[in-house]
Amino acid sequence: MDTKFTLTSKYKYISGALILIGVAAFVYGFITNPGRSWANLLLNNYYFLSLAIGASFFIGIQYITQSGWSTMFKRVPEAMTSYIPFAAVFMLLIFFGMQALYHWSDPGAAAHDELIAHKSPYLNVPFFFIRIVLFFGLWILMSRFLRKLSLKEDLEGGLRYFEKSEYYYKVYIFILAITFSLATFDWIMSIDVHWYSTLFALKDFVAAFFHAAAIITLIILLLNDRGYFKDLNKSHLLDFSRYIFMLCIIWGYFWFAEFMLIWYANIPEETMYIAQRWEDGWIYLFYGNIFINWFIPFLFLMSRDIDRSKLGLKIISIILIFGYWIDLYIQIFPGTVGEFSIGFIEIGAFLGFGGLFALLTGIALSRAALIPKNHPYLEESLYHHA
Amino acid sequence: MTNKYIIGVFDDEETLLDAVRKVKEKDIDIRDVYTPYPSETLLEILKIKSYFTYYAFLYGFGGALALLAFMYYAAVIDWPMNFGGKPSEAFPSFIIVTIVLTIFLITVLSLFTFSVRTDIYPGRKAIMPDPRSTDDKFVMVVAKDQIRNMEEEYHQMLKDSGASEVYEKEMELKIKP
Repeated sequence: MDTKFTLTSKYKYISGALILIGVAAFVYGFITNPGRSWANLLLNNYYFLSLAIGASFFIGIQYITQSGWSTMFKRVPEAMTSYIPFAAVFMLLIFFGMQALYHWSDPGAAAHDELIAHKSPYLNVPFFFIRIVLFFGLWILMSRFLRKLSLKEDLEGGLRYFEKSEYYYKVYIFILAITFSLATFDWIMSIDVHWYSTLFALKDFVAAFFHAAAIITLIILLLNDRGYFKDLNKSHLLDFSRYIFMLCIIWGYFWFAEFMLIWYANIPEETMYIAQRWEDGWIYLFYGNIFINWFIPFLFLMSRDIDRSKLGLKIISIILIFGYWIDLYIQIFPGTVGEFSIGFIEIGAFLGFGGLFALLTGIALSRAALIPKNHPYLEESLYHHA
Repeated sequence: MTNKYIIGVFDDEETLLDAVRKVKEKDIDIRDVYTPYPSETLLEILKIKSYFTYYAFLYGFGGALALLAFMYYAAVIDWPMNFGGKPSEAFPSFIIVTIVLTIFLITVLSLFTFSVRTDIYPGRKAIMPDPRSTDDKFVMVVAKDQIRNMEEEYHQMLKDSGASEVYEKEMELKIKP
């Protein structure tokens, strides 16, 4: 059981090359079109940060419900959380791009705009960054602490660490519920400062959890292809696909609930948001979003032949990678860049951040035993049978 | 028409599955297995393919289409009404009703399908080799004429593989799984 993930030099070179592409894209972007580059930075940083948050929520759920089946794979979502400190750095860098991203950060904006003036006690630049520091402080603290507990359990064993982890995951989920909701309000919803939706935080939280589950599945399947996780069986696959299936329905439900209420109430401040996304160019992505993120997983994961096949799950996870990007693109770009454009900056920036995320996850995976030892539910997970 | 059956009673799923595997190896045709809860592995061993999910999908798909068509007919074609200038073809507002009623249709029609397939109707006395299979026992039923020459051997085999009881019963079983 003493398997360890070794980081091959090929893995390092490929992720390094992706990071270089990203750097090149940002250098090119900041010279030619700074506004668009800031939007890309925010999008990609939020994308991978929310995957990390979703991953830690995923382990939290496993602990709280005392689920045995997923114990074997616990190190993968744990490794994904190692991106959080880097996300903090990028998020603080947004300070230099505030004017390009957030209309409310303009000092003159509040003077002529009653609504921005009304929101300014909460939405102002100093408090915005105090919140960023607070959120990231809590997330880094909690994820580091829980990772440490998990590693100590490997060495010492016993039920103590399991019970402690379970308790602190409960605390962490409470923290996430509040901080991540406020974070989505701050970073994404405030781009369209005149618009508001109370469902927004929940929808984005579910999206983070949903796509994190897909990425966890994809990483595990890729590791399995390379000879790790030999005990992966059809029951595990079925459980992963049930997660993706269930979350795609919840995500679609929230997406529709938000849209439906805005459509039905027909209040100009709210419909503006949708109307802007129904213009030429955006509208394909607007409907493509619900089609890719809800319809495809919903339709295909119903089938018995696909929901426990490695290839089927892999294809759906890869589709969902693009789906999440589209979901965030349609949320961030109309309010910041304003015109529909996908070019080298977008692709390069995504590849760069993806490379960084892959490298960090790989390093974190290689630093500890891939399959945890001494976890009380480990045996149940190894011989999991649904 | 009544037949004689040999009934094996097991205390848990694992021993039942072992016994079913052994009996299958001997090419003995298993009449039916009654369990307190559904078991996927059992279906795999018995090589029974359930078409139930396909029926459920059909009910859901057909039900959703029919509901949308009905609402379109009612609100747009037959009796369009003006609510504050909104278009009468209010597709997003049809969706919620469709979701709820589709779930309802799938549930009810699946129940009817199940009832037809297993021959259980309200008022009919359930045919059950051993009523304890609704409690906590697992029951395997094999027709006696399947094991004409090796009755004792068969009894011993079930006992060896962990059956808590093996006995003979005369009754009428209609459906063949």
